[in-house]
Amino acid sequence: MSEMIKTENLSYEYSVTYEEKNKTTTKKVLALDNINISIEKGSFVAILGHNGSGKSTLAKHINALIKPTSGTIWVNGYDTKDEKFIWDIRQSAGMVFQNPDNQIVATIVEEDVAFGPENVGIEPNEIKKRVDNALNAVNINEFRKSVPSKLSGGQKQRVAIAGVLAMKPECIVFDEPTAMLDPEGRRDVINTIKKLNKYEKITTVLITHYMSETVDADRIIVIDDGHIVMDGTPKEVLTQVDRMKSFGLEVPQVTEIAYNLRKNGIDIKTDILTLEEMVVALCRLK
Amino acid sequence: MIRDITVGQYYASDSFMHRLDPRVKIIGTMAFVVMLFIINDVYSYAFSILALAFGIYISKVPVEFIFRGIKSILFIVFLTAFLNIITTRGTHIILKFGIISVTYEGILMAVKMVVRLIMLIIGSSLLTLTTTPIQLTDGIEILLKPFSKIGLPSAEIAMMMSIALRFVPTLLEETDKIIKAQQARGADFESGGIIQKAKSLVPVLVPLFVSAFRRADELASAMEARCYRGGNNRTRMNKIVFNKNDYKAIAAIIFYVVVICFIIIFV
Repeated sequence: MSEMIKTENLSYEYSVTYEEKNKTTTKKVLALDNINISIEKGSFVAILGHNGSGKSTLAKHINALIKPTSGTIWVNGYDTKDEKFIWDIRQSAGMVFQNPDNQIVATIVEEDVAFGPENVGIEPNEIKKRVDNALNAVNINEFRKSVPSKLSGGQKQRVAIAGVLAMKPECIVFDEPTAMLDPEGRRDVINTIKKLNKYEKITTVLITHYMSETVDADRIIVIDDGHIVMDGTPKEVLTQVDRMKSFGLEVPQVTEIAYNLRKNGIDIKTDILTLEEMVVALCRLK
Repeated sequence: MIRDITVGQYYASDSFMHRLDPRVKIIGTMAFVVMLFIINDVYSYAFSILALAFGIYISKVPVEFIFRGIKSILFIVFLTAFLNIITTRGTHIILKFGIISVTYEGILMAVKMVVRLIMLIIGSSLLTLTTTPIQLTDGIEILLKPFSKIGLPSAEIAMMMSIALRFVPTLLEETDKIIKAQQARGADFESGGIIQKAKSLVPVLVPLFVSAFRRADELASAMEARCYRGGNNRTRMNKIVFNKNDYKAIAAIIFYVVVICFIIIFV
């Protein structure tokens, strides 16, 4: 398998200006510090980190919305610093943002899905085909003529996903897509994301702080203070309860229960991530 | 609920007028308005009223719905009539108060102006009653396209209009939320005079503006992420196409304009 995203010594710095006692101070903040990762095509990678850890900054680099201060990031083989490839990059790596309301452009659902393909100048008939496919893929075809403001948060977010899908991307970056949704909407969106990764083979980068959403990922990367601090499969990462907590992150509830049971002398394995695994493990106890 | 407010005053129906190409309707309305300003004699007035009545008939919009729009401008209509009566000079004096004289010519002028104004309002509201804001935006975009050669950003103007329409319900909902949040903390929006009421809206407008700017910033990133780079190389999924009815409507518009010109020149 080849690489979808690769970074080499990627750093991003921005300056914050604030006033204090009539004195303006400018401080430089290093949001990302020497990040080296490579993400393979077709994989499902979750990126975890608490607020301000730099995970959203990394996401914006993948879509070339911001460019590295130093180092390089290649998306589908294109260097994001090269202006020539910026539209190729944005077509091959789509992005879904946190607030569903602020990323829907058009007044009708199907028109919004068509927005991306219209921007890159695709023929009307081809756009129609793509819109049909995208709406079906996220299971929202019945609302195609609706007004976005009449939809629920989860439905709006799926419209946003359809809008990205219509560009036929190879990779989609989800920047906390469920943070503003109710539990039902969150489940719908996560299931849609998993389905797209599995059946459409779309490389998925999911940025989140809901641990339960990362359990099915191929790989979890934990970012803290601009550094990659953990990188591995869900079993390797999520079961390190103490370490995760030191980065201000929770672990799935069942994992924490297993960890506490073990600490209190009960012989239970600690690599439990889902409720089903927990049930099996508990039943085996004597 | 505040979010049920619709933009404009669209009357949903499936009449001949509703199904017309928005471009045809915009051009028709413009032609009608221009004609209203050059008509002057009884025949052309009568023919214009007839044409308007026909327009209302094929739009299938209830008449009381149409006249509702006039209520709000009744004051302007009366003021115009009054000013016309007292300022027009003429030979057939009917009444005289000091230096002000009411003449036959003045009354005739006032009647003409009132009819003209009412027809103007009805004619243009017929456009917004039968065309959704989205269709209107699309129509305006295509009609403005020729002007992009002289530097008018027609596609961008249309994009701005459609984004504005898109965010009207979102911002209304937000206003509702802010008002409720302020009320929950004891803000009073109901009592006091008009100035007091306006003042009490300041704590609503400030957060609304802040949030609108934040939304605009996020929307700009989202649009950029979806390859938006201005209107130049864009294609559209739904092209507006002319059909038989549109040609009929254009023929009717041309017929109206020609008849009016004929009356003005030869009668």
